[in-house]
Amino acid sequence: MFVFKVARRYLLSNPSQSLLLISGVALGVTVFIFITALIAGLAVRLTDQVTGDSAHISLEPAPRLARVLPGPDLPTEAVPLVSTFQRKQIRDWPVIVELLRSNPAVTAISPQISGSAFLVRSEAVSPVSIIGVEPQGIDAISQITPKVIDGDADLGADGLLIGVRMAEELGLSAGQSVLLRTDRGVERQLTVKGVFRTGLQSLDERVAFLSLQAARPLFTLPEGVTNIEVKLANPGTARATARFLADATGLRATPWQEKNLSLEDALKAQAQTGTLIQVFSLISIIIGVASALVLSAYRRRSEVGIMRAFGVPSSFILWVFLLQGLLIGLSGALIGCASGYGLCVWLQGLTKPDGTSALPIAPEQGGYVAALVLTTLGAVVASILPARSASRLDPLEAIQQ
Amino acid sequence: MTRALEARGIEKVFRNGEEETQVLKGIDLDLDKGELAALLGASGSGKSTFLSIVGLLLRPTAGALTISGDRVDMLSEAKRAQFRNRRLGFVFQFHHLLPDFTAMENVAFPAAAPAGGISREMRARARDLLTRVGLEDRIDYPATSLSGGQKQRVAIARALMNRPDLIIADEPTGNLDRQAADRVLDLMREVNQEDGATFLICTHDEGVAARCTRRLTLIDGLLASNHSVGEV
Repeated sequence: MFVFKVARRYLLSNPSQSLLLISGVALGVTVFIFITALIAGLAVRLTDQVTGDSAHISLEPAPRLARVLPGPDLPTEAVPLVSTFQRKQIRDWPVIVELLRSNPAVTAISPQISGSAFLVRSEAVSPVSIIGVEPQGIDAISQITPKVIDGDADLGADGLLIGVRMAEELGLSAGQSVLLRTDRGVERQLTVKGVFRTGLQSLDERVAFLSLQAARPLFTLPEGVTNIEVKLANPGTARATARFLADATGLRATPWQEKNLSLEDALKAQAQTGTLIQVFSLISIIIGVASALVLSAYRRRSEVGIMRAFGVPSSFILWVFLLQGLLIGLSGALIGCASGYGLCVWLQGLTKPDGTSALPIAPEQGGYVAALVLTTLGAVVASILPARSASRLDPLEAIQQ
Repeated sequence: MTRALEARGIEKVFRNGEEETQVLKGIDLDLDKGELAALLGASGSGKSTFLSIVGLLLRPTAGALTISGDRVDMLSEAKRAQFRNRRLGFVFQFHHLLPDFTAMENVAFPAAAPAGGISREMRARARDLLTRVGLEDRIDYPATSLSGGQKQRVAIARALMNRPDLIIADEPTGNLDRQAADRVLDLMREVNQEDGATFLICTHDEGVAARCTRRLTLIDGLLASNHSVGEV
């Protein structure tokens, strides 16, 4: 195509200037990709940190509402209510667990009995959140076993796992016994089988694990469980999966985001900041390309004028400059994508002494297609103004100059 | 016989705010096909303006213009551009070659740009024209590597590319030394005599006018003299 040949020839006529221009575009694209990959990596790391030791979806019985019971024998002035003081429970939990197992998005399931209690040792009394779990599933939601620093994670029939801060508070260690008094008024002497350290204060200070079977009499739940905790392959899908599970089970399904609204706000703010930086990168690319092409169109006024004098269609001249913008944008975007990916991979390889990546960057989430398309389009948009001005040039004025 | 050019009552008024300057005051001119006409006149006489109007680069304020039987002063901008491309040839004082292209590409450009490429026929014609202007050994040379006279000969070849009805030349030798200027004039006479191409040459140079077959003189926006060289 002749117009393409002319555009290419114009770009190659001043290789150093064209190279500089393409380098500028490539730099902008590199920044775009770096920011996109960094924001994505940061979001993944923060989400992992927040959800790593907790469930992505919690299933609980739906809240019960007071309602009038139907029946012809009821006196009209009486309004019997279903008691809301009964412990809410999921009676058919084995069926729901089977349903969850068939869902490919679900990676781990932990039916639990959760409740409040006190640990009493001599004069010392400490409030504790009890989590009754299936002994083989103790690590389903939070990796407790590797974090046991005293004793082991074998719960047995009367075993208890407590956090290191609670152990310090009550002066307990593995093998010692302690009295547990639940909010249902049931007491039982249990043995501390292990002490764990997760690094999370809320877990280390206030949570204790025991077996599901041991928890049943303590919370007067001979059959059901209080909640089912679920882990997903992709935490980002928690909201949608929660809606699906709520519809499928009739239970209340709470995604992790609803329990961490401040984190969600922070991630949104972070993403918005990233978008702003991306927009400014694009704007600087557009301004750079536009100013270079405006100069180029000005320098070539007499050439454009002579073309117009020969009756070369204005659309031909328009396309000469639009194609220059396209070539600059596409070349710069391709180079920028390659260099951006290289930079992200290199930064990802920089590790801290503990072996983890120093910078939370996700090279595979660099937004390459968006960078390529937006930059190329941006460069074409940037060339519209100089292209239009060149195509409308008065040939007589240009020739006389 | 259809004339190459018929101008009737051509006027041109330039306006600058409230101020009006009438540069052309009603020019009537006929050029037959195959004429080699020189348009003379002092600076400010209006000859460049008249040439621009004939070249469809400027619209007249009043008057009618017909080129090879087609009324052209009323055409739209797009039609004027199309007419310039297909029916007119231009040679300017400064060659105005495209510096990033070879001699052959420059010659072929007026045909190639609207067609979207240089066809085999265009390439052959451009080579023929360059051979004719004595540049057969410079066909694929970049325009920037040619001398001033060579560039002007390429410009003449370019003006002939689309076989125009009328070739308009504005001081075609004004930027050349005597020897190069003579060569360019010889070339234009040769094309005029062999192909019957019609030339309208705007010049200050009496020597150039003397080698033309017709002499037109503009004074203060009016055609003061209009006769064949032999009639002097």
